[in-house]
Amino acid sequence: MSSMPETAGAAAPPEAQRRVSLVDADIHPAPLPRHLAPRLDEPWRSRFERYGVRVPNPPQLYPRVRNTGYRADSWPEGGFPGSDFELLRAQLLDEHGVDYGVLIPLHGHSFGAEAPEYAAALCHAVNEWVREEMLDRDERLRSSINLPLETPELAVREIERYAGDPRFVQVLLPSGAEYPLGNRKYWPVYRAAAEAGLPLVAHTGGFEQHRGAGWPSYYLEAHVFYANAMIALATSLIAEGVFQELPDLQVVLVEAGISWAGPLMWAMDSAWSAMRDDVAHLDREPSELFREQFWFTTQPIEEPDDPQQLVQALEFTGMTDRIMFASDYPHWDFDSPAMTLPRAVPKELRAKIMAGNACRLYGLG
Amino acid sequence: MRLEGAIDCDVHCAPASIDALLPYMDDYWRDYVANAGMTLSPTQTGTYPEAVSPAPPADVDALREQVLDPWGLQRAVLTCASAFDISRNPYYETALCKAINDWLRSEWLDRDERLRASMLVPTLDPEAAIEEIERIGGDPRFVAVLLPIRVDARWGTKRFHPLHEAIARHDLVLALHAWGRIGAAPTASGTTHTYFEDYLANSQSIAQGQVMSLVAEGVFERVPDLRVVLLECGFAWLPPMLWRFDKDWKAVWREVPWLKAKPSEYVQRHFRFATAPAQLPHDRDQTAHLAEMLGAEELLVFASDHPHRHGDGNLEVLLDVLGDAGRDAVMRGNAEALYRLAA
Repeated sequence: MSSMPETAGAAAPPEAQRRVSLVDADIHPAPLPRHLAPRLDEPWRSRFERYGVRVPNPPQLYPRVRNTGYRADSWPEGGFPGSDFELLRAQLLDEHGVDYGVLIPLHGHSFGAEAPEYAAALCHAVNEWVREEMLDRDERLRSSINLPLETPELAVREIERYAGDPRFVQVLLPSGAEYPLGNRKYWPVYRAAAEAGLPLVAHTGGFEQHRGAGWPSYYLEAHVFYANAMIALATSLIAEGVFQELPDLQVVLVEAGISWAGPLMWAMDSAWSAMRDDVAHLDREPSELFREQFWFTTQPIEEPDDPQQLVQALEFTGMTDRIMFASDYPHWDFDSPAMTLPRAVPKELRAKIMAGNACRLYGLG
Repeated sequence: MRLEGAIDCDVHCAPASIDALLPYMDDYWRDYVANAGMTLSPTQTGTYPEAVSPAPPADVDALREQVLDPWGLQRAVLTCASAFDISRNPYYETALCKAINDWLRSEWLDRDERLRASMLVPTLDPEAAIEEIERIGGDPRFVAVLLPIRVDARWGTKRFHPLHEAIARHDLVLALHAWGRIGAAPTASGTTHTYFEDYLANSQSIAQGQVMSLVAEGVFERVPDLRVVLLECGFAWLPPMLWRFDKDWKAVWREVPWLKAKPSEYVQRHFRFATAPAQLPHDRDQTAHLAEMLGAEELLVFASDHPHRHGDGNLEVLLDVLGDAGRDAVMRGNAEALYRLAA
């Protein structure tokens, strides 16, 4: 492994020898239909080939008017961005010297809401492809478990299947599901994750039913609103009492920005002071709870004209030890690790964000 | 807080019941109300439960006693959101809005010259909304058009552009106010179980979606004179939202070629935000940083949101940070310019 120093003591196991300086917490591998079909048992294989899936992918709703949504150089011959391990390794892991990369296959966002057994078969096929075609080929990689989330008993089964494989480091949720994510329907899934010692990772996407304000017309609006869907998710988990039930549960919020968290916590605390008997299970300020349960990834990090304001906004959160670098490879808005954080970010904080925080959460290095 | 001489941009009033509006309805609608057993909740059904708000004043004497006289306000802009909580019948919605507007005029504006009001217009029928603006927009005491943030379609969408033109043509302000149609789920994943979560959705997502919509759809290129105020939607969330918005626009501008400037520039130029609910940090240094990010001295207009209670908002810390000139702008000057209130 190119990034491994040669100097460690003889007694230490290889993993402990590594000086980790870069962890990428959001990488999107993409199995193709021809990768999944052979991993589906009948009748699901025939159904997949003859009917496909019913839940639309978000890009169909809001076309990405920027390189069709992918890094222009990330298309492998005959494949799709993220489908080819060699290209992913060359363009991301090797080129940028990534010590560890955490895969987030997004198929589960739509697959997980198909008919129960079909959803379970599809998600399992994705997980198996990730294991065989990505994790087995490079020990720098970790992954997130895709779940048939809308059928919790089957989702629990899928967590149990991979809980013994330390390369699967978290359990994937969409930011939009059939019910608000704090709903008790999903608690068995959260309990299974907590018992396996796995964080939840909520990645932007899934159902995009823009109720409340109505539907946006453009990707520009939909993309800016991703943060607001994540805000709704975090608020729901707190309001429904998930963390009173599962105090050890950790939740990573991916691809939704960070700077909104300070204002959200001020709003929650202010509301709580006026209506605490409406959420009687909340026995302390919501901001205190928020700071103990949530983590963030950087991409797409906010870019104020004055970079110092980004530093101030991160400090508003009081959670700078819970922010992790992410590139979002191979999507169009990929963030290079060399350019993500403005110079205004102090050196020590930079080191935590680029590697230290992720090492702590995922037990890396 | 010093309120003497202030302009309060969001003071609620509400008819005690539908009976108060019957004199302002024609025979068909009086009969419709009687036969259907229509009611009108002064607390808008679940919108303002007793725990967070008593019913708003139902007549001008109560308002004088609770607000105008003890606070020494220069002006108060009335918000009557009673039409937000209604059936899906667009003709009834129109009749209700007209009745409320006539009730506001006869029983409030005619009785206290400190008062101004936002007019109600139907949300389901843009043509009828424009007709209502044409009907009463010439009365200078109506200074704004009140629209809820929780609706079927975002306010920037193309179908509403003629409505925005009518608002600007009459030199009125588009006032977007928290809440809206009951039955509309506040999140992309449906309804909530707690008031706390439902309440937070106003400021933390729904209002932000409306700002995104009005800007992204090019409303301010089409209607360059349109002024917008957000009432009861908070404001501390604005800088991070605009940082995302500007960044995304730089990348996907091809999708919205009508935008000629950064999204944040449209917001600075066309939007003002009411100070309630304040939702600010306790910490003075953080408040000072936030005030700078916001451009708070130009952006904010004072609102008490009487009689609603929002908890410890720490507004006084922000006003203190702004100093005397900034405080005066927020408490009075900005609203005077926004609503064209200078005599």
